[in-house]
Amino acid sequence: MADLKFTKSHEWVKIDGFQAKIGITDYAQSQLGDIVFIELPQAGEQIKKTSQFGTIESTKAASEIYSPLSGEVIEVNDDLVNNPQWINESPFDKGWMVKINMADPKESESLLDESSYKEFVDKEAYQ
Amino acid sequence: MPYTLNTDKDFQFMLKEIGMSSAKELYSQIPPQIKLNSNLNLEAGLSEFEVEKKLKSLALKNSSLDSFNSFLGAGCYDHYIPAALEAILSRSEFLTAYTPYQPEVSQGILQAIYEYQSFICLLTGMDISNASVFDGASSLAEAVLMAARITKRKKIILAGAHQPEYIQTLNTYLSGFDFALEKIEPAENGLVNLGDLKRALDSDTACCVMQNPNFFGLVENVKEIADLAKEKKALNVLVTNPLSLAILKEPAALGIDIVCGDGQPLGTNLNFGGPSFGFLATKNEYLRQLPGRIVGKTQDKQGKPAFCLTMQTREQHIRREKATSNICSNQSLNAIGAAVYLSLLGEQGLKKTALNSFNNAQYLYQRLKELRGVNIPYAPRIFNEFVWEVKDALGIMNKLYDKNIIAGYYLGDSLPDCENRILSCCTEKKNKDEIDNFVNTLAEILNG
Amino acid sequence: MDREIIFDKNKTSDKKTYLPESTTAGCDLEDFLPKESLRQDLPLPNLGELDVVRHFLGLARDNFSIDTNFYPLGSCTMKYNPKVNEKIASLEGFTRIHPYQNQKDVQGALELIYDFERLLCEITGMKRFTFQPSSGAQGESTGMLMIRKFHKINGNKKTKVIVPDSAHGTNPATATMCGYQTVVVESNSSGLVDIDKLKSLVDESVAAIMLTNPNTLGLFEENILEISDIIHKAGGLLYYDGANFNPLLGITKPSLMGFDVIHLNLHKTFSTPHGCGGPGAGAVGAAEDLIEYLPVPLVAKAENKFYFEYNLKNSIGKVRSFYGNFGVLLRAYAYLLRLGKEGLLRVAQNSVLSANYIKEKLKNYYEVAYPGQCMHEVVFSCSSQKEKGASALDIAKRLIDFGIHPPTMYFPLIVKEALMVEPTEAESKETLDRFIKAMIDIDNEINTDLEKVKNSPHTMPVKRVDEVKAARFPDLRWKKPGA
Repeated sequence: MADLKFTKSHEWVKIDGFQAKIGITDYAQSQLGDIVFIELPQAGEQIKKTSQFGTIESTKAASEIYSPLSGEVIEVNDDLVNNPQWINESPFDKGWMVKINMADPKESESLLDESSYKEFVDKEAYQ
Repeated sequence: MPYTLNTDKDFQFMLKEIGMSSAKELYSQIPPQIKLNSNLNLEAGLSEFEVEKKLKSLALKNSSLDSFNSFLGAGCYDHYIPAALEAILSRSEFLTAYTPYQPEVSQGILQAIYEYQSFICLLTGMDISNASVFDGASSLAEAVLMAARITKRKKIILAGAHQPEYIQTLNTYLSGFDFALEKIEPAENGLVNLGDLKRALDSDTACCVMQNPNFFGLVENVKEIADLAKEKKALNVLVTNPLSLAILKEPAALGIDIVCGDGQPLGTNLNFGGPSFGFLATKNEYLRQLPGRIVGKTQDKQGKPAFCLTMQTREQHIRREKATSNICSNQSLNAIGAAVYLSLLGEQGLKKTALNSFNNAQYLYQRLKELRGVNIPYAPRIFNEFVWEVKDALGIMNKLYDKNIIAGYYLGDSLPDCENRILSCCTEKKNKDEIDNFVNTLAEILNG
Repeated sequence: MDREIIFDKNKTSDKKTYLPESTTAGCDLEDFLPKESLRQDLPLPNLGELDVVRHFLGLARDNFSIDTNFYPLGSCTMKYNPKVNEKIASLEGFTRIHPYQNQKDVQGALELIYDFERLLCEITGMKRFTFQPSSGAQGESTGMLMIRKFHKINGNKKTKVIVPDSAHGTNPATATMCGYQTVVVESNSSGLVDIDKLKSLVDESVAAIMLTNPNTLGLFEENILEISDIIHKAGGLLYYDGANFNPLLGITKPSLMGFDVIHLNLHKTFSTPHGCGGPGAGAVGAAEDLIEYLPVPLVAKAENKFYFEYNLKNSIGKVRSFYGNFGVLLRAYAYLLRLGKEGLLRVAQNSVLSANYIKEKLKNYYEVAYPGQCMHEVVFSCSSQKEKGASALDIAKRLIDFGIHPPTMYFPLIVKEALMVEPTEAESKETLDRFIKAMIDIDNEINTDLEKVKNSPHTMPVKRVDEVKAARFPDLRWKKPGA
């Protein structure tokens, strides 16, 4: 996980050259509970950093998914729609959501690294 | 004291248990400036007998529809309600139960609502129905908001003759948003003006709303209207009388995307207009935009079939400001009543009710047509009500009223250019003698 | 016991005789209506009356209800539904009147609405009421639309509505439906609106604040007059969510607290039956300046005759067809007549006493979320039980085995593992003691037989229902096999 970056809204990013893979963290899925539905953008769509690109629903909560980076969606994990439980079971692997071509790689500099994210989560969990 | 069980002794005991000595201490945090110093300026409480007596005297100041030969419809219909329905609905376990949020203690309620949802789907041909909304007018507002959310467009077209109160309600609901509402006036024949509609439909149209049978009682060319809207990828919203669906084609087969309307004809009494319930049904693909409660079938932890409220994340108590609507309660009891009504009548009984209404209305139509002084502007492509006109309609209605006949709804009350028009309705409860009585009396008035 | 779905029941070929044969000549539908507009097949089952009656009464037996069980449901005020109200509501003079009948034929109904309005005005201090809204939530949107129009007519540029973090979900949803942005104000450590935080949020763009008082933690907002001052000084209005009005009957009035528009839930404070989730009714009251925005019609009186008044200068229009849930209103009216002024006060006092009694007796077993005196409801946090392995949900489900409906769970959102208990004034001390004992027994059981708590309920027709499956694989209606 050392190569992952995070946001305060609990999304993770895995950067690979000019591409980035995005999903939600284990903490996020545990807070949401059993996921029942996910709505994702389509390939070709432009998404922007900090704006909403999807919706995720569990039986007790509905949440927006915010994009950590700006770019064009090149691949979507369409199988997730029929298997939302993968997000609970494997949030960093099978539960990945979209792959984008980054519009501005510099945006990743403001993302949290693993230890900063962990610190952030620990603080939030105590409230 | 009525409706509280604790005696003075219990009261004092419990006060002591919480460390207080007088009832005043219960309200110590209320700022003194806003505390009432004396009792409310109301009468003293009445005994049960006196309450019954008083309310009975108020009821007697009303003349129920049964004391007239009435032809009133216009959105609230007088149908026969089988006695078994009221016997079932008055059961405590339906009447005094809460919303079925805890499925383990509400399986009966949940199944009854699931059956209601299924009945609505069977009647309308749609894939899914919610557990009901407040009334027909608010169901239309919710349907329109739904269409706007789905299409992300801003223009709403109201085609043809609609119940005026529904339009007023829609306007109120939409006032918090930024939509454009365009009304297409009916054509000469009382139906939707297809030419005007075609001109109005464009790529910003979220939905085309039609009522069938429309407010003049006429059966529209639903498929033709729906096809026009489809050309512009607008959704089709239909407001309908669910009883008419016993003989009219299922809206799903005519290209309708969302069906709504008032469920009062299915087993709810007149009730001075409320309570009733609204129904809302649509296609599977719009499930997540459907507001209100929905019951789903699932299993319990041991694999036994079980029901529960589901899709709740669309609702206000979870999505909060992102909710599809702020609906919290629905009209469960009336909706369950509809399921009971449809179970008791079945295909046979419902068809008979609809056909008897139709036969009666056609008979009235023919007889009125023969009268000198009466003009019927539209063809008899009707279900249970139609428009007719006569000079000095209000005066005529008053004269009929003096003979204990309520001719119908005076259209001049809510529509411009309808000063001499009346909307008369025949349900299955009317018979030939009553219709003859109406027409013969009218003939006398016109000749005399 | 497996309950057959109605569509699978035995069909009868017996002719339905609820109605006589048609006395007018049978007409061929196709002579009058285009063939394409006619139905070919009406797929409804034909069932025998006894089978239908048994089916639905069988369903009834699977439910809890106030008449059969105690419901300490916070925020819902599940009080006894008087039977005399049912008797009255079924009088033909009330059930058999059509909304479009000549007003002289419905003077009794109009007089009832008029007098009911008079009683509510005295109880709340508001000047006029509408009874059109069919629920609390519809009452909220009505009230907020009135506020919106008030600002529009007065040329005020308002974009925001303030809502406490403890608010019920309908509040922000309503604000959104009226085109406003919701701004949340935090509660302080005592569970009340944080005045300093409020001051920092209020500016000229605030249209209104939506408040419940007592709030959803069951606590009285002691600083209500200061809140009122802050909002009014910024040109905003105060909206009262009357869901928790029960403990204040005869004690204080929303008008004295500074509220401009209020709604009351007739199916909560005023005893009308919940009917499995409706019909209810939301009465919306307006202070003097807001009267002209109320929905039309109101009921007026002139020379001993009652009539519908449509002449309101800036009415928001209608929020539903006809006049509201008349059948619900008349039950609430009968309830008020029965109680009278001293009865209402007694209701309020008992509601507060009962909640505090429960708080006192359970405080050593369940953490009381906010230690100050509560009003008619008390919020417990089951955090320490959760640490031992039993969540608020588990405890609530176990209560079912004691014949008690679960309290409100996981609300308000600001309390962890919340259970909100509102006993109401309608219950006897014996019932409260039984509830207290059940809660204590369950707490002990967590130590001695945790599995029993976690696998509850054990005495109902079903075990815990798989709500995840229901949402993942929606089955929302019966389908004909093969369809």
